[in-house]
This record gives sequence, C-alpha cells and structure tokens, in this order.
Amino acid sequence: MATQAVRPMRKPDERHLARQRWARAGWVYGTMLALAVFFIGPFYVAFLGSLKDNPLEWPFRYSFPQTQPKNWAAAWRLGQLGAGNPWTGGFAPGAEVPFQISYFVEEGQEPEPPTVTVPTRRAGAGLGAIFDEVQAAPYAQVSEVQEVSRRPAVVGGQPGQIVTYAFTIRYPRGDATASLPTVPRLPLDIEAPRGQRYYAATLDPNRLERRGRVASWDSITPGFFGYVFRNYVRVFNEARDPNTGASFFLRWTANSFFVSLAVVLTTLLFASLGGYALARMYLPGKNYLFAFIVFTMTVPGQATFISNYLVLRDLGLLGSLWGMIVWSAVGAGAVFIMKQFFESIPREIEEAALIDGATPVTTFFRIILPMATPALGALTILTFQGMWNEFFKAAVVLSGQQASYTLPLGLSFFRSAYGVAGDWGLMLASAFLSMIPIIILFVVFQRYFVEGVSTSALKG
Amino acid sequence: MKKILVTLALAVLGLASAQTVVKLQGFGGNDTAIMSSLVREIVNPALEKEGIRAEYQGIEGDYRAALLNALSAGTAADLFYVDIFWSEPLFASGRVEPLNKYFTPQELAVFNRNLLNAFTLRGNVYGLPKDFNTLAVQFNKDLFDEAKVPYPNQTDTWDTFKDKLKRVQAAIKDVAGLCVVADHARFGAFAHATGWRPFNAQGRTVLDANFRRAFEWYTSLVKDGAGKYAQDLGEGWTGGCFGAEKAAVAIEGAWIGGFLRDKAPNMRYGTTLIPLDPVTKQRGNFIFTVSWSMNAASRNKEAAAKVLRALTSPEAQNWILSRGLALPSRSALANSPIFQRPGKENELNRVVFQGSTSVGGAVLPFKFGALDGGNWMRPINEALQAVITGKKTVDQAIADAQAELNRIVR
Repeated sequence: MATQAVRPMRKPDERHLARQRWARAGWVYGTMLALAVFFIGPFYVAFLGSLKDNPLEWPFRYSFPQTQPKNWAAAWRLGQLGAGNPWTGGFAPGAEVPFQISYFVEEGQEPEPPTVTVPTRRAGAGLGAIFDEVQAAPYAQVSEVQEVSRRPAVVGGQPGQIVTYAFTIRYPRGDATASLPTVPRLPLDIEAPRGQRYYAATLDPNRLERRGRVASWDSITPGFFGYVFRNYVRVFNEARDPNTGASFFLRWTANSFFVSLAVVLTTLLFASLGGYALARMYLPGKNYLFAFIVFTMTVPGQATFISNYLVLRDLGLLGSLWGMIVWSAVGAGAVFIMKQFFESIPREIEEAALIDGATPVTTFFRIILPMATPALGALTILTFQGMWNEFFKAAVVLSGQQASYTLPLGLSFFRSAYGVAGDWGLMLASAFLSMIPIIILFVVFQRYFVEGVSTSALKG
Repeated sequence: MKKILVTLALAVLGLASAQTVVKLQGFGGNDTAIMSSLVREIVNPALEKEGIRAEYQGIEGDYRAALLNALSAGTAADLFYVDIFWSEPLFASGRVEPLNKYFTPQELAVFNRNLLNAFTLRGNVYGLPKDFNTLAVQFNKDLFDEAKVPYPNQTDTWDTFKDKLKRVQAAIKDVAGLCVVADHARFGAFAHATGWRPFNAQGRTVLDANFRRAFEWYTSLVKDGAGKYAQDLGEGWTGGCFGAEKAAVAIEGAWIGGFLRDKAPNMRYGTTLIPLDPVTKQRGNFIFTVSWSMNAASRNKEAAAKVLRALTSPEAQNWILSRGLALPSRSALANSPIFQRPGKENELNRVVFQGSTSVGGAVLPFKFGALDGGNWMRPINEALQAVITGKKTVDQAIADAQAELNRIVR
C-alpha cells in the first residue's frame, strides 16, 4: 500500500516538469509573438490603409479591391489597352477599352441599361488643385451600352437576376496631322436607375456614390501601380513644385540624403579627431574641457535654438540646407562615444607605432582609425538616422522654402496640404516611402550597430 | 584698381536698386501653391516695370506661433497673413503697420464693408481682406428626394428646417438629418440671429434668454431625431458626415466644395442660406477671413504697399475666384459672371458670398475681442457637448458656462 502511495507522487512530478517546460516555452514564444504583433501590426494596418481609396474607412477591412488579384490582372490589362503601359496606365490615341458592369435587379423589376459618362475631374484639394490636368473627357468616345447576359441569382436573400452590360471607350486617332495628347487617366462614372444594385465590374470601382447608384472610377486604365499603389504614384505625380513642375518628393529625398550624408561625414571627422585628442593627446585642462563637453549634452536643444537661429540668420544660412549642416555638424554625444572607444585601445599599439617612427597623424589615420570601424559604424548609423528624422531643426531653419525641405518637413507639408481635406492615403504612402532608406540602412549596417553598442574591447 | 573698385561698387548698387524683393508670408500647404502661382502669374508681371518682385513663403504647422516668433526675431516678411481669429491682440501690439497712410479712403471703400471693419481697430485699417468665407446650408438632393421631403430653402425657419431634417432621418435608415457638432463656430451663427452678441455694451459676455433660445434649439436637434452627434458617426465636422452620405445636410463654408470634389464628385447637392430665427425673422452668420497686413518693421513699405495693391487687385481676385479657390473681398465682384454660372460649386460660392451681405442678417466676424478666441469659446463648446450627450441639463450647462465666462471675460 505504501509503495502504491509513493509511485503516484513521482508521476505527477515528471508531468509537472514537462508542463513547466512547455509553459515556459509558451510564455517565451507567446511574448515574442505578442511583441512582434504589437510592433508590426500597426505598420501592417497603416500599409493596407495607404493602398485604400478611403484610408479612414470604418470598420476597417482587410480585404478590399486593391488587395484582390482579380483587380491586379484587370488593372494591368486595362493599362495595356489604354496606353500600352501596364504599370502606370493612361489613355493614348488609338486606345480601345472594352468594359463590363453587372447589376443585380430584383424580381419584378425590368432592368435598364446604365448611363456611362467620362467626367471632367479636377482635384479639389491639395497640390493637384492648382495644376490643370489634361482631361480625357474631350477625347473619349463611349460606345452604346449593350446588354450581354442575364442570369437568375439570389443576392442577400432576395431573388432576382444579374444583368451584365458592355461598352467600349475609344480614343479616335483623328486625321494624321492632329497631335493628340496622351491623357494620364480615364475617369468614369456609371449611373444606374434606382433599384438596380451594383454587383461587379471588369475593375472594381474606387467608390460607390449616391447611395450606390453611381459607380465611380478615378481611372479605368490605371495600370498595376496606378490601381494598387495609387497613393504612392500620386506622391510623385501630384506633389510638384508649382513654379518648376519638378517632383517635390524626389527633391526632398535628395535633400534628406544630402544633409544626412554631409552631417555623417562632419560628425565622423570631428568626433574622431576630438575624441582622440581627448583620449590620448596631452592637453592642459583636458579633463575640464571634457567635463564641459559632457555638460553641453545636458542642455536641451530647445534652450539654445533661438541663439542658433539668430547666428544662422546673420550668416545668411536660413532657408538653406547648409544651415542645417552647420548646426548639426558635430554633437557632444558623438565626441563622447569616440573618446570612450579610443580609451579602450591599448596604449602599447600606439607606442609600437611611435617606435616604428610614425607621427601622431600617421598613427591616427593609419592605425587607430582602421581599428575604430565598429565605433565609426555605430556613429554613422546613429547620426544618419538622427538627421534623417530630424524635424525640429529643419522646421526652424528651412521654414517656408518648400524646395529645400527635408522629408520630415515635407511630410508635415503634406499634412497641411492634404490632411486638412481628409486625404490621408497620400500621407501614409509618403510616410512609408520615407521609411525605406532607413530600413535599408539598418539591414546593411546592423552588424556594426550591434557591435558598436556591445563592443568594449579590441577584436582580431 | 580704383576704377575697378568704383565699377564694382556701381554694379553692386545697380543690382541692389534694380529689384526690390517684397517677402510675403502665409499659411503653408495649399496656400503656398496657390499664392506662388498668383504671384507668378498676376502680381509680378504687374510690378515688373517698377522693379518690384514678390516672393511667397508658406509656413507649415502652427502659423500663428511662427509669425509671432518671426516678428520678435525681426525675420518676419514685409506682408503676412493675419487670421481674424487672433488679429486684435496682434494689431494692438504695434507690430503691424496701419494702412491708412498708403491707401486712400476711396481705395479702401471697394472692399466689403463687413470684412474691412473686421480688420479695423480704433479707426486704423490694419489689413486688407484677402478672401473670406461664411456659413451656408448644403443639402444632399438624392436623400431629400428619396425621403420625399422638400429641399431646404431660404424661407425656412429653424422650425421648418428641423422638421425637414426629422422627416429625412425618419424616412431613411442610416442617415442623420444633420450631424451636430459641439462648436461655437457653427452654433454661434444661430445665436447671432436671436439678437444675442458675444459681448454686451459693457464688454461682458452674458448668456441671456436669446442665447438660451438658440442653445435649446441647437441642442434639441439630436434629442428630437433631426440629427446625430458627429462623434457618434465617427466624424469631426458636418462636412465629413455629408461627404460620406451619413447626413442629409451640412453647415459649412465654401471650403466644403473642394473636399466634396475629391470625396464625392458625383454628389447632387444644393446650397441655401442659414435658416431664419422664427422669432426675430433674422438669420445670423460668421465671417471667417484672413488679411494681408504689413510688417511695421519692414524696410520696403512703399514697395510692399504696391504689392499689396496688386495682391488684392480685381485681376488677382478674379484669378482666384475663377479657379474656385476662394471668395473675393471686393464688393464689386459680387456681380461677377462667375457666380452666375450654373453648377453646384458656383451655387455654393454664390450663397456663401451672399452670407456676408445684408441677406445674411447678423453677420459677425469670427473673433472675440482682445481675447484668445479658443479660450473664449471653450465654455460654450463644453456646454453644447454636455447637453447634446445628455450629461447636463440646459439650465445647468448654461449656468456653468456663464460662471466660466465671467472668469475669462473681465
């Protein structure tokens, strides 16, 4: 009896341990998964939003026209038919675009063909509003709308039939002497009589208006990018300098690269020179100087920006990218990092170089600097990222000079130009585009990043 | 050597005198695009002979803070926008040049009186109205047709208007009559119609019986089934609900036109004046406007005055009007053929323009004396919200707002 009483004690113990192991693994993986969802989730939702016609729609849908392969194929084919351009579409002379639309008609109602129009569309808000876009309406000819098929169906519990209509939109070449423009897009409105419900079309419409009576397309020859990544295409096409017509977004990207790279170079140069001098050179009062540098790190930028602003104004650098570079050329934090790193390099190496007859300059550039790659790599990535995302200084220095904006300021420009009109699609798209370089940078430099943070001694 | 130096000096002088650059500062975003085009196409060609060139600079983000900073740092432009909402404290500060010296009374008389008065302080004109907006009622014709309710029109009183909204809301599922916002910028138009004014003769804000009448009517819309609270429909403004066909009418200015062009290009909508108070048989309205004002520290005041004249010239205002970008501040343009063109947007612009004339009734500028407008409106907005969402009774809410306003308005 006693042995029987002991044995069951052992068994639950083992099971308990196994359960504990599983529970531990479950917690670890569960936490990691939760963190991943927590960090990636918003990006995923925002990315989906950037593809939508109405990013603010509620309730949020994960499946919408832009995510459906059927529409990808249709957009590709229609772009090809419209202007021979399957990527961004258009409407060129000689184009012939067949199109079909189906309606659900309840039992007892006689189907009527819908009215098809190619409307004149001008942007109502944002930068698009000031450019006179070439319209498709004067050139497009819509053929007669013909009924193609009828089949009985039950939709939403109601019996009735699905009626499909077809028509073709043509862009006649006219006589050979006339030079006709290629129109960037072919908008379309199809209005059905009351009671007929939109069911399907060759390409899903961008919106249903007037309580579902009008199906409306921004372009029925959009091409793949023009349909799926419409907001991304708009970032480049629509946001242009009203004076020169050049794309703002490309300009801002170039500006951001210029400023970030220039500041990375100046930071690397000055921080390594300064750090080395503070770590190794003989300098009376060096420690006080270092304490002072560290002290400046505690002063918030907001406290000194007015004096910096006035200095930049007197130097005539306001509104110029150079103003930003001068202001950010080197930071106390960068000098600090480099000094700490150089102090970790054994003195013996420099002494060996000295015995071999190297001057301090040679020692620095030929011996020390190559050894400092991890620290320089970390500094590069931190500085680049800091400058790429720098909003405050850009807002102070570059205010009002659209052509010399950097990306963060450009995004705020989009917010005031488009956000006020509720057009968040373009803003989401531009935010995603501005993120790409930083992601690439992290992928390329992540080794240095991790090394730079964890390194404390010499390697190899 | 001397010769070269003299030549150089002369060349520099020549360059300097050849062109005077007048800097303009205003809102960023869309305004940058519009103003740069206006300056390029109208203003600069007109002033080329006189050697004056204007340059527009749009400021992103908080314009008011940026302007005040720039005025303090001495980097403000020669001409800049001043929003009526916070104009008075700025004009009183002495940093804005009075324009009476540069413009004759005849030149000033061409502007809409209501607008010019809004920028006049102690007899001095501190800014020329750039453009303006008032409120009007936009209605969705499809929804009224579907509900078989007659469209709102300019003979509607609050009662008939509310009745129409109730009938639309009852007839169509998922559609509100109006989506009601707890905002003095909309409600105030109705309060003005009763004869109530933000400040009485003693300069105090008194929420009297007239105010209460408007307040009761406005907050009853939701309770009586003529509207829904905007936040409950997931929108922040009446135009948002209207564009999404969640509401049958909106109470907005001409700015809704551009929004609807993008959001609902096919919507069949009409525009009419704000309904009449059934007791006073009056309407009320707000004027929202921005001025062009001159920097008192400008070094090119004469040139700036010329640019200002060109910016508000009939040509410039016609250019803006014909593109549907804004409403002109010159009274003569009321008869512009552009307003008479058919089409829903032209009707919208026409009715919003009429809102500023005598048809508009009691039209008050959207400013609240020397006080910060946002601060002054807050107690009223909170009272509106509390009653609409059923947290307070009308008596309680008005009493609380009055107590708060007594503290703010001294």
